[in-house]
Amino acid sequence: MNQFVLSHTTASELRLFPHIIEIGAIKNTAIRLNGFPLSAERSLRLYYIQEGKFEWSINERRFTLFPGDVALVLPGVEFGNESAVLEIGSFSWICLEISKNEKGELEPGAWSSLTQVESYAIDKILQTDQSPVLQKFTDAGVILKSIQTELFKQELGFQTRVNHLIDEILIQLCRQFTRMLNPGRDFPKTFMKLEQELRQNLSHQWTVEEMAALVGLGTTLFNEKVKSYSGFSPLNYLINIRISEAIKLLKMPDISLTDIALDTGFYSSQHFSTTFKKLTGYTPSQFRKNHLGTN
Amino acid sequence: MECIITIELGTNAVRVYAFDLNGNIIGSLKGYCPTFHSEPDYSEQDADQIFITMLYVLKNLLNDVLHPKKIKVRCICFSSSMHSVLAVDKRGNPMGHAIIWADNRANKEAAELKSSSLGKSIYNATGTPLHPMSPLTKIAWIKNQENEKFKQVSKFLSLKAYILQQLTGEYVIDYSIASATGLLNIHKIKWEAESLKFAGITAAMLPELVPVDTKVGKLNKAYQASLGLSADTIILAGSSDGCMAVLGDGVTGEGVATITVEDSGAVRVVSDKVMQDDKQRFFNYLLTENKYVSGGPTNNGGVIFEWFTRQFGDFKNPFDIEHTMLELINEASKVPAGSDGLLFLPYLLGERAPIWNANARGVYFGLNIKHEKSHFVRATIEGILYELYSIGKTLEEHRTINSLSINGSFGTLPFFTQMVADIYNKPVRLRQQYHSVSYGAYLLSATEMGIYKSLDEAAKSVVLPDLATPDKQNNKTYLKYFKIFERLSTKLASEFADIAALQHE
Repeated sequence: MNQFVLSHTTASELRLFPHIIEIGAIKNTAIRLNGFPLSAERSLRLYYIQEGKFEWSINERRFTLFPGDVALVLPGVEFGNESAVLEIGSFSWICLEISKNEKGELEPGAWSSLTQVESYAIDKILQTDQSPVLQKFTDAGVILKSIQTELFKQELGFQTRVNHLIDEILIQLCRQFTRMLNPGRDFPKTFMKLEQELRQNLSHQWTVEEMAALVGLGTTLFNEKVKSYSGFSPLNYLINIRISEAIKLLKMPDISLTDIALDTGFYSSQHFSTTFKKLTGYTPSQFRKNHLGTN
Repeated sequence: MECIITIELGTNAVRVYAFDLNGNIIGSLKGYCPTFHSEPDYSEQDADQIFITMLYVLKNLLNDVLHPKKIKVRCICFSSSMHSVLAVDKRGNPMGHAIIWADNRANKEAAELKSSSLGKSIYNATGTPLHPMSPLTKIAWIKNQENEKFKQVSKFLSLKAYILQQLTGEYVIDYSIASATGLLNIHKIKWEAESLKFAGITAAMLPELVPVDTKVGKLNKAYQASLGLSADTIILAGSSDGCMAVLGDGVTGEGVATITVEDSGAVRVVSDKVMQDDKQRFFNYLLTENKYVSGGPTNNGGVIFEWFTRQFGDFKNPFDIEHTMLELINEASKVPAGSDGLLFLPYLLGERAPIWNANARGVYFGLNIKHEKSHFVRATIEGILYELYSIGKTLEEHRTINSLSINGSFGTLPFFTQMVADIYNKPVRLRQQYHSVSYGAYLLSATEMGIYKSLDEAAKSVVLPDLATPDKQNNKTYLKYFKIFERLSTKLASEFADIAALQHE
């Protein structure tokens, strides 16, 4: 493997790719003191180990990485070797400028072909509290290698190819994460995690695609599993949670009906009112009156 | 055409069935409800979500199946899990989640009470084992640990009492559920003064006590309209899942034991007498004024085989646990009875009856170099069923058991059913098609509507078509191993305590 580093401040190869802060590969043959200190960066960093064994700290947790392993470092997270040592071996990496939007969600820029729904799911997967190390994820190495080749050769369509390959690596990374977290053995546990995620972001307009992505299933199998386990389709289960939460809020006198509707993920107070009445027989305001009365 | 609807408020799901008046199922739907564990010992459910889920599922069944065929609903009958506690304020609004049977926060309250003379007297009066599952100890925990909240509580309900109150406006608790609270004197069918005092409450803070066949008020107008049900729909208080399962299997007298193997399990017998056990190993719950359902519960039923499957099964498709389990059972069937001397104590979740030891843990015992994975599979199933046998065997100290009926999603797997017959050396009857709990609720409704003259007559109509007869040879083998199983289950008590202490560190 050839060693190289391209940085967006200097490398002309990255002129068309302002979102690639840095890309590189290193083959280190002797231990270097102060060669790999802890640092936190604004970019999303991805390291792929080719040879050797590396003791790295990510967000104050220590990991040992072996060939084929990937370290994922989110923006702002401290990463490096605790003693600042660069160990013997080789690895490649890429640092991407992926900014957070006003809600704190990671959002790839205009260069990405990911849809809004896909980006949302990818953000959720990357940001869940999980091990930032993926073992034996050799696909990442192959994709990184292809990005390097495209950048150096600059053949027809390389701009499109590079951007697609970055999307590809994000997608594969998330699929790998969800497979690791949901090994396909314990649906009750997987469903419980999903339900917690839904409750924490009840105001979000969830789609079935997003929900399925979080548990690492395709939508067809996801629909089938949710239906047979919960008795509800995914979206009906969501309505169930929305109404149950709304009932709690309706019993608190200080929150307006519109706020309740939006907090629990209904489009509008009308939408809330009709759905609520269909199920409970009461409009939200009648229900509130019944439960806040002194009798 | 007319129908009876049964609603089962179970731990994992609300199950709604529609029966025609002859007891045939004409539709069924379920809806999942989550259990929350905010602390390791806590198990809670959201009463409002259970209510909404119940409405949602009921409405779907009505709109999809019953209304299009113009089938009139005559009666709705409820059953539910036992031991839940829901505190409500003076407006009847829940103060937090309901604490359910699996919750162990009241461990200390239960242990202290059990070792006192007051405990013995309360157990004899109430028939409920002194255990953190008991609402008595849960309410005492709230009094001790959350006294500010405790002072604001207007009533302590069960989940079913809350659902009935939402539907009809009435606060009622049936004899069965009440007899599983540790607060009811089951001899006099009145709230027990010593229990109330221990819990720090008055009888006015509990719902009104009613027989299981009580018609509870009228369905609120809003629900009549939203569900499309008429004002004269009978709402029956109903019973607990345990009592309904026994009734649904047609057991209302002595001679037959009913075995349930769901995630957890139980062995139950019915009699007109309370089972007085000096070691406080059994529960005595009321089905009616003069019918006691006595028996013992195990924590470690099918859930343990599910655990085994998740760890060691070969999943060909993601989350396809049913298929994976059947493949393991197929593997187990190739190993001879007794697993060539590999024994399993299934106490992964601690144990209730008969050893009542929360510190008990799982053990594989007798491993030798010839044992293969398939021996582990079979030994695991045998261990789960030895445990159910150890409950039945202790029940036989008090009652004669001639035959068995079995129900529950695991119990009705043919491999399990046959093994139960072999271990017990008794014939086992079962019905594959549906849930005994809901059928019990149907029988109760049908009796109330005059289709049967009495519950006994209703129970006599039950025909459990399938029969497993014991294999004498297997029985001999199982009993040899069971003797060692039984000895190990108590012999390891001090090691269980030590390892549990280390695991809690």
